[in-house]
Amino acid sequence: MSRMHTRFEDVDVGHDLHTLSLTLSGEQVKGYAIAARMPGGRFMSDEEARKEGLPGQIVPGNMSLALFSRVIAESFPGATLKKLSATFRGLVHPGRPFVVHGVVTEKHRTDHGDLVECDLVLESTDGDRWVTGTATVQFPTRG
Amino acid sequence: MALDFDPSIIGSEFDRTVFAPVTQDAILEYARTSGEPAQNNVTAPPTFVVRLRGHRWMPDNLPKSLGRAGFDAGKDIVFGAPVRVGDVLTAVSTVHDIYEKTGRSGSMAFVVLRTLVTNQRDEQVAVIDQKMMFR
Repeated sequence: MSRMHTRFEDVDVGHDLHTLSLTLSGEQVKGYAIAARMPGGRFMSDEEARKEGLPGQIVPGNMSLALFSRVIAESFPGATLKKLSATFRGLVHPGRPFVVHGVVTEKHRTDHGDLVECDLVLESTDGDRWVTGTATVQFPTRG
Repeated sequence: MALDFDPSIIGSEFDRTVFAPVTQDAILEYARTSGEPAQNNVTAPPTFVVRLRGHRWMPDNLPKSLGRAGFDAGKDIVFGAPVRVGDVLTAVSTVHDIYEKTGRSGSMAFVVLRTLVTNQRDEQVAVIDQKMMFR
């Protein structure tokens, strides 16, 4: 079950994050690549990607990072993303459905604030893990 | 893959770029296409920093034994001060690490490129580690 957490006190290890279910179009991927100043042909069209030896247009790794960041923003409104990591394990292609989801793995109060650690996954609807990652989120300290 | 390289390459700077002031249009376009929210339309989404491509994105002096084709294997970003409209950002890129790893599919080499992004107030905006894999 997807959840939204606005207070550190309400977060527990094992809580699911908000889940995104998406199928990106080729135009959406191209639009992101232009906005992110990634001019590679592999992000622009199937034709350009094949010239680079790829089977077709691919989603930039940076766009997967952005999707992770979006899951964090939608799961923890008002909190601040402090760290984000991603490992690109497989090619993500437009036109193929996938889900982005995550889970809370740790929470701690520190001198630097109230922190929550999460694991994140971008995977196909068949369960192929194309991108995995972690995030550290800081909650506002309540006096 | 036998990795033979001059250790002085580690820590060497290969790019330093000062970017034009961040515009609201750039923030809104990035937010629209990435799906990440832009606070009050003046603060960029966190991953906006990946769009800061310097003049050179790879160093010229990587070990020849790596070959030419590298794959983007992953990225780690530590976020600092938020990016706002009007900020003038500077990105300094260095070779952070080079190492070998042997997995089930054989030997691979990794090059970690670190980009430190600061703003006009010398505040740290982000530290971006990009891991390139060569096999």
